[in-house]
Amino acid sequence: MAATGAIAARPRKRTWLDLESGPAPSRSAVLGVRIVFAIVVIAIWEAISASGLFFGDVVPSLVKILASMWRLLIQDAFWTNLQVTALEILVALGIGAAAGIACGIILGANGFLRKAYEPFMYYFSPTPRIILFPIMIMWFGIGVESKVALGALSSFFPIALSTSAGMALIDKVLIRVGRSFRASAWQMATKIYLPAMRVPVLTGIRLGFGLAMITVLLAETKLSNKGLGYLVMQFYQRFDMPTLYALLIVLFLIAGAGNALIGRFERASR
Amino acid sequence: MSTPVENAADPLLVIDNIYKRFGTDADATVAVDHMSFGVKPGEFVSVIGPSGCGKSTLFNIIGGLLGDYDGEVRVGKERIDGPHPAIGMVFQEESTFPWRNVIDNVAFPLELRGVPKSERQDRAHHFIDMVGLANFEKRFPSQLSGGMKQRVSIARTLVSEPRILLMDEPFAALDEQTRLLLGDKILQIQQQLNQTTLLITHNLTEAVQLSDRIVVMTYRPGRLKRIVNIDLPRPRTSEVVGSDAFGHYVAEIWNDLREEASRGMVDAEASISRRSAARG
Amino acid sequence: MAERVHLRRLAGTSWFPVAVGIATLVAVGALVEVLLLAGVMNRYMLPLPSDVLGAFRRVIMEENILSRTGDTAFEVLTAGFLVIVFGVPLGVLFHRFRILRMALEDWVAALAAAPIVLAFPLFLVLFGRGPKTVIIIAFVYGIPPILLKTLEGLSSTRGVLINVGRSLNMTPTQMFWKIMFPSAIPSIFTGIRLSWTFCLVTVVGVEFLVNLGGLGQLINDLAERYDLPGTYAGIAFVILLSVAFFIVLERIETWLQPER
Repeated sequence: MAATGAIAARPRKRTWLDLESGPAPSRSAVLGVRIVFAIVVIAIWEAISASGLFFGDVVPSLVKILASMWRLLIQDAFWTNLQVTALEILVALGIGAAAGIACGIILGANGFLRKAYEPFMYYFSPTPRIILFPIMIMWFGIGVESKVALGALSSFFPIALSTSAGMALIDKVLIRVGRSFRASAWQMATKIYLPAMRVPVLTGIRLGFGLAMITVLLAETKLSNKGLGYLVMQFYQRFDMPTLYALLIVLFLIAGAGNALIGRFERASR
Repeated sequence: MSTPVENAADPLLVIDNIYKRFGTDADATVAVDHMSFGVKPGEFVSVIGPSGCGKSTLFNIIGGLLGDYDGEVRVGKERIDGPHPAIGMVFQEESTFPWRNVIDNVAFPLELRGVPKSERQDRAHHFIDMVGLANFEKRFPSQLSGGMKQRVSIARTLVSEPRILLMDEPFAALDEQTRLLLGDKILQIQQQLNQTTLLITHNLTEAVQLSDRIVVMTYRPGRLKRIVNIDLPRPRTSEVVGSDAFGHYVAEIWNDLREEASRGMVDAEASISRRSAARG
Repeated sequence: MAERVHLRRLAGTSWFPVAVGIATLVAVGALVEVLLLAGVMNRYMLPLPSDVLGAFRRVIMEENILSRTGDTAFEVLTAGFLVIVFGVPLGVLFHRFRILRMALEDWVAALAAAPIVLAFPLFLVLFGRGPKTVIIIAFVYGIPPILLKTLEGLSSTRGVLINVGRSLNMTPTQMFWKIMFPSAIPSIFTGIRLSWTFCLVTVVGVEFLVNLGGLGQLINDLAERYDLPGTYAGIAFVILLSVAFFIVLERIETWLQPER
């Protein structure tokens, strides 16, 4: 009797499942975990670097990488090649976005065309696009044009798909509101359709940016004589590992910044 | 050609023998079956009927969003053909533009007409004030409650100063208390503006509380069952809900409605069991 | 009038638009063929579509396609297997320790968006030129989606289901295996589909870039030989194969979704 009473009165034991619903960890705890994680990763890295497990500069010390990064960033070569790559990516994204939004609107507005042609786009998008590079070289030569073409092609699909989905998903009542106030076709387009689609279009552009960037850079590593991808291969062939690491880190930072920038637009327009 | 003078007793909105069916010959549903009635200037009329009786079809026909029907809808003497400037619609669904703040939402119809910015802000402000959202002009719909969003939609329609306000269950998605309070607001505005109003609803209390006349519809095909005059004193508030006369009207109309609603329920259950039989 | 009604009915069926899509593809192919034969388009940029169809046979017969597909499949499946073995438990771990999730989820998401393949020269130096390197790159690419989707699936278990478990006095282990994990399975499989697609794209991409075994290298070989119809046929073959792979994954995923 007493025993059952004791069991009933005992506060339920916190199980590990409760961690989800328990009090949120404090900000400083989160920061602490981040710092510890970063320190552990760096320590492991430095340990491997010092152990001599890998040959020579294959795993250079972070100090060496940072020094190389400094030398890289004060070089003209980095900035001129960055310009080339950035221009290629922007032009590719511009072409891909213009064509993608236009196609997306046409497909989104017409259910039949959507059913007929969207499967091709949908199933083409998860394929390795870089293998189209040889065709792009045949068509546009080995200069910047072939990289732009491949980047535009890669960014076209997610933008078209997401525009068309966004168009089809517009809340129908908003269209009825526009019609009930007798909005003209132009007013419907600019005041209802476009603003209602801005989030999916921006999502498409963000995805398209990522794909344009990666395909342009990879194409540069394959065959080119300028651009950051070319620079990557230069350092690889010279076996200048610290600078190669430094360049890749800078590239990841640029990519992250670009992504974050578009992501911010996306959230701000929600 | 001279415009005919409108007599105050003449209906402003005429629904004349409307007939609408959906689907092909083999399996057609008649949504609205030869309905006729009128709404006089300044009058508040409700159309009530069970779910699935074709009320929303009627709403879309009167609003000019649905074509391909027999019969006529007239504003005064003019037959409507598409959305008519004299008719302002308020939809059942949440229909504010999520990317516009309250004042820009309300100013939308004025923007379409090219009214200069300062003037449209002033006029929008006037109606926002009227629906009681004066402190929320800069908020976005995502920051408002369901009832507030519906008030934004109502203000947006009022700002276009329609001669006829046409509403399709504007309170359907709201809880009972909010519903009653919003009903109060509508009463107050309607009486203040002497606004000719046609409300489509399935809520009996709401219809009796607000209306001068109630048009009762049958369940599929939607026919006119009868028209009930509500002789409750005006100006009204939601307090009228407690009166004996109110209860009397509700009971009277419920008698008509119950029969139709239970037919609807039987139908719905039959179609569900048909569907599961087909799947099984 | 009757014809229009008939057309409208056809357009409503599910096969008709698909047929129109395929017909368009065939028509474009035929048009290109005609324009090439007429000399309007340049044959050094575009081979005759009929030659490409012919080259298909040649590529399949003469280019060791079976062993190449095998090489690629081996790399994709190994990376895919490793990704599940590491990704799902990592997702569970992130769910189990909320602080880990709060601290590192954004970092994992950033990793998912980073152009890691670009580091392939590094991986070559670190792990040598071989299938091992390809598998490791694909593995790094495949981890984030599956981790994030496992986490998402576990944490979106409906609260009422968890309360049902509590009311039945289930032990934490029972709760995990009988409630949380089963309800997370559809989401986990979405993660698997994403990860495996990434693995395939990465494996073929790296094979192409560094000219290393498998299907990616096939494209490279054909292009370097200036075998125009062969290159086109090879590319088409790889694309069709990836589409088939993707469709299979998608089928399994839909099959795992609970009925609505």
